[in-house]
Amino acid sequence: MLVRDIMTRPVVAIAPDMPIDDVIVLMGQRQLRHFPIAEDGRVVGIVSDRDLRTVGSAHPKSRPGVKGSDPVRDLMSAPVWTAHPLDPIDEVASLLRAHAIGAMPVVEEEEMVGIVTSSDCLDALIRMTGVGGAATRIEVELPNRPGELAGLLTLIAEHGADVASVLTTRSELDVAGFVLRVGTIDGRGLALTLREAGYEVTWPPERTTEEA
Amino acid sequence: MTAGGSDTAAAAPARFLYHPDLTRWSLSREHPFRPDRLQALYELLTAWELMPDGAVLAPSPLRAHELERVHDPEYVRAVRRLSRGDRVDDPRRFGLGTADTPVFPGMHEAVREVCAASVTAIEAILSGSTRRAASFAGGLHHAQRDRASGFCIYDDASLAIHRALDRGWRVAYLDLDAHHGDGVQQAFYEEGRVLTVSLHESGRYLFPGTGHGYELGTGAGRGWSVNVPLEPFTEDAAWLEAFDAVVPRALAAFRPDLIVLQAGADGHRDDPLADLCLTVRGMHDAYRRVVELADRHCDGRLLILGGGGYRPYAVAARAWAQAWAALIGRDTPERVPDAWRERWTEPDGTTPPAAALDDPDRYPPQPRRALIHGHVRAVARRALARLEPIWAETAVGATPTQEGTA
Repeated sequence: MLVRDIMTRPVVAIAPDMPIDDVIVLMGQRQLRHFPIAEDGRVVGIVSDRDLRTVGSAHPKSRPGVKGSDPVRDLMSAPVWTAHPLDPIDEVASLLRAHAIGAMPVVEEEEMVGIVTSSDCLDALIRMTGVGGAATRIEVELPNRPGELAGLLTLIAEHGADVASVLTTRSELDVAGFVLRVGTIDGRGLALTLREAGYEVTWPPERTTEEA
Repeated sequence: MTAGGSDTAAAAPARFLYHPDLTRWSLSREHPFRPDRLQALYELLTAWELMPDGAVLAPSPLRAHELERVHDPEYVRAVRRLSRGDRVDDPRRFGLGTADTPVFPGMHEAVREVCAASVTAIEAILSGSTRRAASFAGGLHHAQRDRASGFCIYDDASLAIHRALDRGWRVAYLDLDAHHGDGVQQAFYEEGRVLTVSLHESGRYLFPGTGHGYELGTGAGRGWSVNVPLEPFTEDAAWLEAFDAVVPRALAAFRPDLIVLQAGADGHRDDPLADLCLTVRGMHDAYRRVVELADRHCDGRLLILGGGGYRPYAVAARAWAQAWAALIGRDTPERVPDAWRERWTEPDGTTPPAAALDDPDRYPPQPRRALIHGHVRAVARRALARLEPIWAETAVGATPTQEGTA
């Protein structure tokens, strides 16, 4: 998935000379946490709800001397980290985390076309993990070498079940972990088949039959 | 609806839906879903003398095109064609011909009969001839509008519930299967006259992957889809605590005219498909609570359906005997007859236990018991925190449906 698939648009952008008090009112009305600040269609800065809420307070991140009647230009962060519509979302997510910021305006050919926030990334992640119809979760650990996943998927296909999604949980030098969502109610039956073929299935757990 | 003129109904026997045709079909040899567990149940109840005269009721045929009330005509057509050996292009798009739901001759007729049993059972209650009925062949809660899913081809529970809606009744559907009751929830997700409550192993770990706490229903149905997703290895005490926290409150808010219980028995710790750790003792306690709740909220009207249960005799038949005993207000003997145990050995060759209820010391406690119990408690609390404000809104100015129930 790319930024263009998850970004919010149109963007509510404000002019740099808008008084901070007005921006605070607007933020409350629109239920937004970030406002890009634009001049002639170009992004020149960004303010967050924390920037606004700490104006005139003793908060350590408060900008000294800035009052509510001042223009937002005096408060905004600049320059701004921006994303491109064709950026992969994992890259944007890692940038948001690396710079400890909550949103990035999306800019194409110097024009702002949207905004992408950490909430958008989280929503995308939820969609990625929850895709597909009725399915059972199977977790496996495979030797980290070419063809291992292909072999596993072939065996599942021969078992007669559809694979709805495949996620990687970890990838190390010699082992890779995968979570598959497979279209069968009998996950244990499938797990047994996979174990018999030599695969290391970590969910569902192996069960020792108890004596009656 | 009103509670008058019910002395004869109270005295009328509970009805047990049974016919050999309900027990003789199977999805395939070696398939985990074993309809003959209904026969095992019937024989156990008979041996225990818990099947009063006049209790057994055979299914009446469905109405013409009744299956199409909850299923796409194209899907029903495909099942019918495959059932008689005709070709269907790409049956897998209907969920058929898969590992879970193989194509087998007579599949349409077999599962239609299951639907007829559940519909006949609810009609017995709707007509006022009894207040309590059981259709343990039913409870096929995964069947979707346009496809088979999770061993389920047609959704008998939703068909039965529609019959009650036709009469203007409000129906509380309570699903205790280890798997989320996704088909029934979906069928009534926007319906304000049907409450669905499902306690199940979390979709994070188990098929079908749905039933999260944030699935609340939409439109008129908002607040009337209730989900309590449980940790794997949840045991009786935590399960019953979650039940007690959520179910009575949901019923009190909704005010049903009838409860439909899906009594899937695959939450038992010996069940090979799921990971809950219930015992027949805990299930017994839950069934008794459901009967009491039916007495409190809807004049005792209760329909019990079957569902999952993949230790078909040792667990499902033994658990459902407890459900039936609760329904008719009796207790079972403490021991399971030896002749029955020898006759109904499990597919894997083990003999069902001799205790009617599982002995408490048969199973050691789960190692993470306290942690799991705490999580289950938090899940129940979160469910109520989401739902109670919605119920409070709905209760203002809500009028229960009164017409058409005479």
